[in-house]
Amino acid sequence: MKGRRGRFGMGTMTNGRMFTIMILSAVFRRRSRAVMAVIASTVGAATLFCLAAVCIAVPQQMSEDMRSYGANLIVTPVESASSSANGVDAAMVTHTTEMVEAKTPAKVATYRYETVRINSASYIMAGIDSAKVKAINHHWSVQGSWPAPGKVMVGSDVASALGLKIGGDITIAYRAADNGGGASGASASASSSASSTAAPSASSKDGRVSTDILEEGGTSFTVGGIVDTGGSEDEIVYATAADLDKLAGGARGADLIEYSAEASGSALQSIADSINAMTSMGVKAQTVTKINTANSRIITMLQTLFWLVSVVVLVLTFVGVGTTMTSIVSQRRNEIGLRKALGAPSAGVGTEFYAESPMYGLFGGVLGTVLGYGLARVLCAMVFERALPMNWPLAAVSVLCSIFIAVIATIRPVRKASRIDPAVVLREE
Amino acid sequence: MLLELDHVSKIYGDLHAVDDLSLSVAQGEWLAIVGSSGSGKTTLMNIIGCLDTPSSGSVTLEDRALNDLNAGQLADVRKNVIGLVFQKFYLVPHLTAVENVMVAQYYHSVVDEGQAMEALRKVGLEERAHHLPGQLSGGEQQRVCIARALINCPKLILADEPTGNLDGANEKIVLDLFRQLHEQGTTIIVVTHDALVASCAQREIMLNHGVLVAERWNDEEARKASEARGGTTAVVRPEGASDDAAADQGNEGGGVFVDPTKAAKTGGTTR
Repeated sequence: MKGRRGRFGMGTMTNGRMFTIMILSAVFRRRSRAVMAVIASTVGAATLFCLAAVCIAVPQQMSEDMRSYGANLIVTPVESASSSANGVDAAMVTHTTEMVEAKTPAKVATYRYETVRINSASYIMAGIDSAKVKAINHHWSVQGSWPAPGKVMVGSDVASALGLKIGGDITIAYRAADNGGGASGASASASSSASSTAAPSASSKDGRVSTDILEEGGTSFTVGGIVDTGGSEDEIVYATAADLDKLAGGARGADLIEYSAEASGSALQSIADSINAMTSMGVKAQTVTKINTANSRIITMLQTLFWLVSVVVLVLTFVGVGTTMTSIVSQRRNEIGLRKALGAPSAGVGTEFYAESPMYGLFGGVLGTVLGYGLARVLCAMVFERALPMNWPLAAVSVLCSIFIAVIATIRPVRKASRIDPAVVLREE
Repeated sequence: MLLELDHVSKIYGDLHAVDDLSLSVAQGEWLAIVGSSGSGKTTLMNIIGCLDTPSSGSVTLEDRALNDLNAGQLADVRKNVIGLVFQKFYLVPHLTAVENVMVAQYYHSVVDEGQAMEALRKVGLEERAHHLPGQLSGGEQQRVCIARALINCPKLILADEPTGNLDGANEKIVLDLFRQLHEQGTTIIVVTHDALVASCAQREIMLNHGVLVAERWNDEEARKASEARGGTTAVVRPEGASDDAAADQGNEGGGVFVDPTKAAKTGGTTR
């Protein structure tokens, strides 16, 4: 029969090495029992990691999704400021953006509004950077394409009033006289909106400004797309900022800056306050409270759910590991009695079990975390359609929790074991 | 005297597991304790082995009274003075033979693999040192148990039915080991049902219902040597005798000595 020399190595034997051998032997040479303890820890760690990973990732996803439903912070020129008519210049946009991004990551988009004539009727035209506006307003339903050079995107109300189709042509004229107060009017209108992207609420039906003057001429554009949001955006004609500058005969500052910041609640308000405190900037910031509050409420709800479920899982894991450890200690009753008969102090017996149980927690924790990550990844891919990156701090917490629970769950059975009367070993017949 | 028991009793409720037992064991003596099941042999062995304490009376081991010692101090006495051999071996199942021997060293003082291997060599198990108990035969496991009992050089070996689970060949090996230990001066106390095992001892005492009912010396020279050292034989109380009668009988050792195994099988008595 082949011996077992070398499994844990013998080398120069010391008491410390003997202690290690006893612990490792108990774990690796009694696999069936050790496996039960490891399985209990694995199940707990897997459940805990999976829930935590999903519950941490989902609010982030929700937050991002919510931000894609529009801005949560808007900045407009101060009405009384001399810069109001010229909008917020590029340098100030950059400065304001830096102030916001100093506190939280944010997406930004600017809007320039002008009154233009289409078939002699007045409409509001917005000059935008399509990519940036699209990044903030994922919820806009766009048929066709976003504005591109020579192509405009018209609001659904405008398209309906003018009988416009995608691919059709539209002639747009700019009259300086129409914009004596047009830009500022649009800006003022924008700043008063708290729940949308703050497009100007044009004063008339279907976005037309009432006029009886028939005008001819203008620049021809192709209708690239039709946008339908159900809001004031449906009454606006969107073009690229460059096309609007060209149509208006020159560039000027933005009438509205939209931010989709990652902050919410008081953090977001403090950003707005810090901008408003800088009166010399000539701009006014305000939060879009409706989305912001809903966002915060959902995230808080999910986080509460996470904590509740986590506590339940921790308790269940504790019970599972505790029961398994009790079973292991019970099965080793004779061995404990023997050790005490050989002169082991009660504390010594306890130390051996306290050194053994963290190993079950460690193995179970690592296995469970890997398993939990796999489950969470599959869950996120199937339900939320997004990849879940490995959360290493959470993985460390998961493993440490497993070790901690294994040790805590061992206390009661080990205390019981340390009270075993060694005489029972001799009494058994 | 290495061990002295003076009017020791162990009482569980109404049951007198050991009843007013007095006994002296000299250094280097080989004593066998015999008796039927329930006669109090194991209880007496637990008391001698510092695994239990008497309800009354006193126990002195190496001139040290055990009555006043707490559990920790008793554990110290156990690991320093006594080597235990069990009928069921009680080896740690996940440790190899040599590791099982080293466990006793670990709790005693310092682990020394060389000494552990030497102990296994003495019991003829050097080649099986790195086998788990499950890979060893009953006789081999008992020899590991004996090596573990020997490793700390105890003054007293306490063996409870050491051949109870062994076949004839292994029984002989174990008894030969005990003989060697005895020749080396180790004191041995063996609890046994087996008349052959008991007869190997220098002295046999018999318990019945916790009472020491008979004593027999198998080695006359040992008896004389014991008396020369001032040793006394056990106070024997024949069954049914009063304490006074027992006192009258004194140290004559005149109780009826019954082979417990044969008596159990036949219901009779033999001398």
